[in-house]
Amino acid sequence: MKIVKCRFVLFSLTLIIGWVFCLATLSGAQAPELREQLVYGLSVFNGRGYTGGFTPRTEDTIYLMADKNNAISARITLVYFWPITGKYVAGFQALNEEVEGVLEVLKGEKVIKTLEKEDNSRYYPEGYYGEACLLYKGEEARAYFEKFMGAIEEYYKQIAEYQQAQIEYEKNFNDFLEEIKERREAGEEIEKEEIEERMPREPTPPSPPQFYVTPPTKDYVINLPLGHYKIRLRAEDGTIVQDSEKDLVLFTCRREGGTGYGIIPGNRWTRKESCDDPSWIIYAAGENTLYFNPFIQDEYNELYYNKLEDPQNRGREEGWKWVHIKSIEDVTLLFSKGEEILQRIVRLPYYVEQISGPELGYEIVEFDPVKMPDRQPTFEGYKLELASTLQKTSYEINMEKEEGELFQGGKREIRLVRKEKAKWLYILSIFPLGVGLVVFVGRRRLKS
Amino acid sequence: MAGKELSLSIHTMKALAKRDLYSTLSSWGIYITTFVSFVASSFILKNFLGSIKGDDILISADPLNYPLFISTIIISFYLALLSAISISREKDQGTLEVLFYGPVSSSSYILGKYIKNILTYFVVVLFFLVYFWGVSLLTNMGFSSRLGKAILTSIFSVSCVISFGLFISSLTKKMRNSIIWLIGVLILFLAVEVGQTILLGLPQGEVSSILTYLSDTLSVVSRGANWISPFSYLSRGIDAISLDNSFLWGLNILYSIIYSVILLVLSISILKRKGVRG
Repeated sequence: MKIVKCRFVLFSLTLIIGWVFCLATLSGAQAPELREQLVYGLSVFNGRGYTGGFTPRTEDTIYLMADKNNAISARITLVYFWPITGKYVAGFQALNEEVEGVLEVLKGEKVIKTLEKEDNSRYYPEGYYGEACLLYKGEEARAYFEKFMGAIEEYYKQIAEYQQAQIEYEKNFNDFLEEIKERREAGEEIEKEEIEERMPREPTPPSPPQFYVTPPTKDYVINLPLGHYKIRLRAEDGTIVQDSEKDLVLFTCRREGGTGYGIIPGNRWTRKESCDDPSWIIYAAGENTLYFNPFIQDEYNELYYNKLEDPQNRGREEGWKWVHIKSIEDVTLLFSKGEEILQRIVRLPYYVEQISGPELGYEIVEFDPVKMPDRQPTFEGYKLELASTLQKTSYEINMEKEEGELFQGGKREIRLVRKEKAKWLYILSIFPLGVGLVVFVGRRRLKS
Repeated sequence: MAGKELSLSIHTMKALAKRDLYSTLSSWGIYITTFVSFVASSFILKNFLGSIKGDDILISADPLNYPLFISTIIISFYLALLSAISISREKDQGTLEVLFYGPVSSSSYILGKYIKNILTYFVVVLFFLVYFWGVSLLTNMGFSSRLGKAILTSIFSVSCVISFGLFISSLTKKMRNSIIWLIGVLILFLAVEVGQTILLGLPQGEVSSILTYLSDTLSVVSRGANWISPFSYLSRGIDAISLDNSFLWGLNILYSIIYSVILLVLSISILKRKGVRG
């Protein structure tokens, strides 16, 4: 009995140790392999603002917009492959070594430009989270950063003053309450108007600077006309830095000033849809609440633009994509059926309110600055409600600048599909057999 | 004299095409294949409609183009098979020899077969128009001009498939061999495409040198296969429509015509060289 027990314990121990070793091996296999690489760090113009990224060794080409300032920098870092996204990731926090030298730009085999590193800063006029962004270089970059630092210093000064004022206010307020209390205890009748008049006023907190400027960094600022180029890094000793040669494609938009729509479906407000091309149709089936956000858009080569946003993205060179550039705000959205206008919709701010419950977990309500003084609207848009009573047919949306004047390219079709008829599709499939049967019977009759 | 010969050839071609077309339309094959292709389309469309939830939306330019693509592939495969066995069957049965004793030449024979298959597809196009019009009426999905463009593209792509089938048929003597060859070649095209997709999905730095070499080789083979495979002309045409790229669309139609002409000329010359028993 004892031997059996001992064997059981031994067996269990072996199992546990084996399992632990197995886990260790598995976790070892999952550890990514880090490789030291020369990469190009990017801060490139994307039509709206600037986007960051890096070009690993596996990518031969860098795509940039023509005639715009784009900042790139050569760095030695650790790169590893991340299977979940299927992309290489740079570990800049572990290793971020700047590569010294000058950047040569070649057209064919001829060096057409030699770029030195220069100071550059990104200026966000609507704040850090705003999409609009400008790139300043040299003296201008330093001046803008100083302006920002000045604004920050001023803000901190105002904060200190505000805090002092707040302390004073609290003291005055307490004194005021004390005084009122004493006078009331002394049997004095105090008028409401007097209280309101004499009550200390709370100081208003200062607003932080609306704009944001990044500290100047030293990068190569590339601004080239449309075309294909090559870049390479020449080290201080005159040699070409290994793995620094890349092809450079400078491109621009094919068409500009188009009209596109961002659509927020009411049932999934975080996953927006786009209806950028007039040939795209919006299919709906039942009761829908849609928030339309019209945009001015430019059309770019799909591959070039995807690679500009992230050099590891994929795309089709023969494909084109619309990119939303600027929101259209001063229009009215028309919802119509044929010639008849069913609704005129104005742009309103909306707030997404989190609610508890098993359903969506949120509710989109119209933003009311009086009822929500300490909040900001989540988004703005044109709310279209498709009622379940609407006839299952085709509708249109369009934009109106002023009464009767339509916005060019703003027309889109909304089709309410008849889902309940889907089962009839199989019956419709039978009709070739019916034709076959007619032919067969006809032939038999002819023969007889 | 030459004019008379040409007139005779055209007459023969017409007679052959008419005879075969009548035979094809009188058999159940084309109706059953079209029915199967429509069932597949209906399945896709039902899923599409099912994916539009009650309170949700779906944005698409051409929801009917994909079902059309699938239907065309199924029908193309049937027509390829029909073309592939057409010559070899008549060789096998000895009918070809009998025909060639008459005023039938290699070119009128091959072109007759080609015209018959194209006319058969025109009948299928009529079915397509009725079916997709019916779908549009039932579900309100809309019969767009892009669907019309896709149907037009399919005619040129099917022309490639038919020429490819005839080419295979002209190479083989036995009907069985034609079918094996056709299926074998199509599987090879598919294997190249799938293999390349798998290898492309692997991270560049992590694959062994053998796999890198294989990937590069497959990439070259795939590029070639894209020009040889008749089905790739259809997918390229549909892609051009979805990209709204008229230049690519026109170019694809031109390539389809060139492809069909080359394969028809090759089939005629092979039949001439090999003879009716070869």
